[in-house]
Amino acid sequence: MMPAGEQHWEMLERIGAYAADELEGEEAREVERLVFERPEYRRLAESYARMLVMLTTLGNEPVEAPEAVVGYAIRRAYVSAFMRRAEVFVGALGRSYIDAFVYYLGLRQESYGGGI
Amino acid sequence: MSSAPDQAFAIRASRGDVQAFRLLVQEHSGLVYRVALRILGVEDAQDASQEVWIRVWRNIESFRGDSAFSTWLYRITVNTCLSVRRKESRRGEREYSGEAMPFLPEPSGGDADPEAAVLGTERREEIQAALGHVRAEHRAALVLRHMEGLSYAEIAEVLEVPDGTAKGWVSRGRAAMLIALAEENHGVREAGGAAG
Repeated sequence: MMPAGEQHWEMLERIGAYAADELEGEEAREVERLVFERPEYRRLAESYARMLVMLTTLGNEPVEAPEAVVGYAIRRAYVSAFMRRAEVFVGALGRSYIDAFVYYLGLRQESYGGGI
Repeated sequence: MSSAPDQAFAIRASRGDVQAFRLLVQEHSGLVYRVALRILGVEDAQDASQEVWIRVWRNIESFRGDSAFSTWLYRITVNTCLSVRRKESRRGEREYSGEAMPFLPEPSGGDADPEAAVLGTERREEIQAALGHVRAEHRAALVLRHMEGLSYAEIAEVLEVPDGTAKGWVSRGRAAMLIALAEENHGVREAGGAAG
């Protein structure tokens, strides 16, 4: 048999699911019967309903991010993109210099078709 | 959960287009900050939001458009918030003895009172404080379900858990939230009637 604490908790969750309109079929009918028959369960269901309305109401309120968040994110992206491009540019430049140096020293046999 | 322009901007941003990324930030910064605010509270929401956008930019190349951009964004936001929370101990989580029923007090104007139509500052603070007493994963699931309005399938995708786990976390979060809110309201009463 389930301990009393666990039974209470299970009932607490079931009435929560009932208040959130998430129960179906036989289970919904059974919890509904309990809610009608037992005042403490009815009060619990009412408490849940109030809480859910409060959560939904708060969730529906528009929230704007502070300007600092937006500005910071965009600045970071621009700096990051610039650094990526600079990295690619410097990498390509470095490779070109090495290629030119190798060609100058005559370490590579093949021709590049007239230039480096 | 996401629009076609979002997908297009995300794909452009994944190719290094900062202008497209800027449009995504401007469009979705409210979502990121709102979720961070609900999961972490006002003290940490700003830093977490900045961290989210850094992660988005850093990882946007991995966005393939298989899922909606907003699902991907919710996932990064929730993961960032949970990683902030994991650094802390499980302080503040309220244990349920199982002997008391958590009741909220009746609204002052009776049942007809549209209490929730406008939430006062005090009520908001109570809700935020109560959320702080719910285990982080359960709180994230609760926020996604009852404040963001996501389906269980979407929550499961965001949290990368099976549907049943997502449902269980929402359910436990809901119960823990009611207990915490009732305590905030000093409304816990034993099932038989005496104060708990």
